[in-house]
Amino acid sequence: MIRGAFGATPAADAHLEPGIFPSRLRRLVEDALTGRLTDAARIVIPRTSDADYKCFLYLRELVRRGVTTALAPVVLFDLLQSRGPDVRAYDVARTRALLDDLSSESGRTPSDDDFRGEIVRTNAARAAARRLVELRRPVPRVAGAEVFPLLAAFWEMDPDRYAEMASDAAKRIAARPPLAGPRVLLTGAPVDSHTLHETIESHGAVVVDEVGPWGSGAAGDDVRIDDDPVAALADKYRADSIGARTPVDALRRSTESKLEDVDAVVVSLPPDDAVFGWDYPALRDVLNARRVPHVCLRCEPYKRPTLAEHAALDAMVSAVSRLQEARNG
Amino acid sequence: MADSQLEATVAASAFQKQWFADLRRRVFDDRQPYALLQADVPFELFDLVDIPAASNQWWAAIVAAKRQAPKFLDAMDADGLHGDLCRYCSLGYASTRYPDAGDSPWGGLPPPRLLCARLTCDCIHRVFSLWAATFGAELFEIDHPGAGDLPPRWWELGRHNWRELVEPHRLAFVVATLERLVERLEAISGRALDRDALRERLELVNQQEEVFDAVRRLIAAAPECPVRMTEQITNVMATQWVRGSEWALAHARAFHDEVKRRVDDGVASCPDERARLMWIGAGLWHDTAFYTAFEASHRAVFVWSMYLAFGPDGYIRYGLDDPMAALASRTASFNEYLHNPPWAAEWIVHQAREHRIDGALVLRPRSMKPGATGRLFIERALEDAGIPVLPIDADVVDARGWDAEGARAGVRSFLDTRVF
Repeated sequence: MIRGAFGATPAADAHLEPGIFPSRLRRLVEDALTGRLTDAARIVIPRTSDADYKCFLYLRELVRRGVTTALAPVVLFDLLQSRGPDVRAYDVARTRALLDDLSSESGRTPSDDDFRGEIVRTNAARAAARRLVELRRPVPRVAGAEVFPLLAAFWEMDPDRYAEMASDAAKRIAARPPLAGPRVLLTGAPVDSHTLHETIESHGAVVVDEVGPWGSGAAGDDVRIDDDPVAALADKYRADSIGARTPVDALRRSTESKLEDVDAVVVSLPPDDAVFGWDYPALRDVLNARRVPHVCLRCEPYKRPTLAEHAALDAMVSAVSRLQEARNG
Repeated sequence: MADSQLEATVAASAFQKQWFADLRRRVFDDRQPYALLQADVPFELFDLVDIPAASNQWWAAIVAAKRQAPKFLDAMDADGLHGDLCRYCSLGYASTRYPDAGDSPWGGLPPPRLLCARLTCDCIHRVFSLWAATFGAELFEIDHPGAGDLPPRWWELGRHNWRELVEPHRLAFVVATLERLVERLEAISGRALDRDALRERLELVNQQEEVFDAVRRLIAAAPECPVRMTEQITNVMATQWVRGSEWALAHARAFHDEVKRRVDDGVASCPDERARLMWIGAGLWHDTAFYTAFEASHRAVFVWSMYLAFGPDGYIRYGLDDPMAALASRTASFNEYLHNPPWAAEWIVHQAREHRIDGALVLRPRSMKPGATGRLFIERALEDAGIPVLPIDADVVDARGWDAEGARAGVRSFLDTRVF
């Protein structure tokens, strides 16, 4: 799993147009062009967004043109997100195709029982992650900047080790006193690092949830265990995915369900955003109706916000305090 | 010198205006349904069940050309929609959502019964969902399965071997989705789609595009460009929205005949032509005078845009035993043809050579993020082929940040230093 980070990507910048590709994709191409992915057997790019798809096409072209040669085959995992009746069968078939490709590479074809065993292991890791999530709200006992990396590690660790690590962390955190400060939901374009959490929490708030695949949404619900584990996986990843191609009604439901027990909302709309900004007016109207203070940040989430954005965060926290004082008489 | 417009151009403009007036009368007076579509949706299916269809991009171009885009886009900004969101595909929505902000051309869009879009760029689902909600209309979405296999020289494969152009699972998915679309259209119109009529319509589309292919060859081979790019666009797009209709085919032929007469008579749009330019990207709808601004000073003529060239290469499908599959094969990969490596760069270089292009102006769209992808591959491929490239930073409908004189000065400098 490659995540975004602050830092230059000169090799990628020669091929990727500015303002379109998020940091994680720039990093991926940078790594591909500078020989950091030579150990990979496959580079699998899911259809998370149009930029991901374009990144897949770019990498294929860079290989074809000989710009990079020491690169594993680049594979598109074309999991569609729309809700049409033909989409599920397509997604299941693409999941099977991915499995076939990986099996041909490894020389090992897992049985359905192998799959079910892996799903059981991963579901245990999901359960441990959910225990961490429960310690964020309604009463937060851990800062967002601390817990986000623990939740994101779900994608990067062996499930058994993750379950053990997350369970231990949950036990330790459960013994802590509640944290003070306005409880903040971070929404808009999903973040894959905790830099923005740190920024928000430097103003005395606590980020208790975020919309996206890396924090509270990393593990999600269990994968069902049934006769067709590949279909179960395809269904899980289609239903759970939160990204640029998530249907707007599903994202709206998900976001609004997270508004309970939060005092303020930060909407991150970085310069490469082409999607989540469209949801903002409707979200703003909901927040205003609920009298939930919010702020929009247009900064790159890996970089320091501007002074004006810091001031806006200050104002948001102050607005929460005023509202709470008014409620408490 | 061709100072006056082609008769075909005048007729095409008049047709579009009359077509829109008829549409409004049909919707408001007769309460008949119509549909609003993204440009890459198969319009033929709608027409064959008597649901006329208007293109989002066509409407956005009209609004921009009538200088109304800034007003609607200001209203969008004021509503909290940030400035990096795509303006081209959303200007039509803005004209509906903020009707008092500007004057919609020709009385404005009537309320459609259905909106339909392919989910290519990520924002399309958002924009069309908002637009459908604003109208209170139904939205039908055609998802866009990604291409994993992109064989070379797509424009040759597409005509006869289109099944090889689109991977079977992608083709099957698009066919299934189009079949569902037909079910919805039949339910709305109360008319069944006649599959034989679909085949016949696609055959007429082939004929229309063959005519445009002949026009393209005339332009490519003529000593000097016989018809301005802006006129090419007007004639081609007026017919593309009603492609395969009796009027469209007749108009395409009339356009061809007029262009041929000019070639036969040695008439050039800019006599003593010194430089042949190509425009890569969507049209600069708010400043189409840009395309003729270098004729007097440099004898530089825009010869090529995708609008004429794409029809013959993107639409012709021979072998119509299964017309829905043929239609799906055209629909499946529009974006890949026009924007993405390797297809877009390969095709554009091929076209540049065919048209003896001396310099290419490549649009760097300010807000159309997916439309801006692949640009660096195209620019590099053209330069590698010996064709100088000038990137143009612009939004195709949003004139607010457009420095018309600065851009023209940049082109003049490009012509002086890189082309001549």
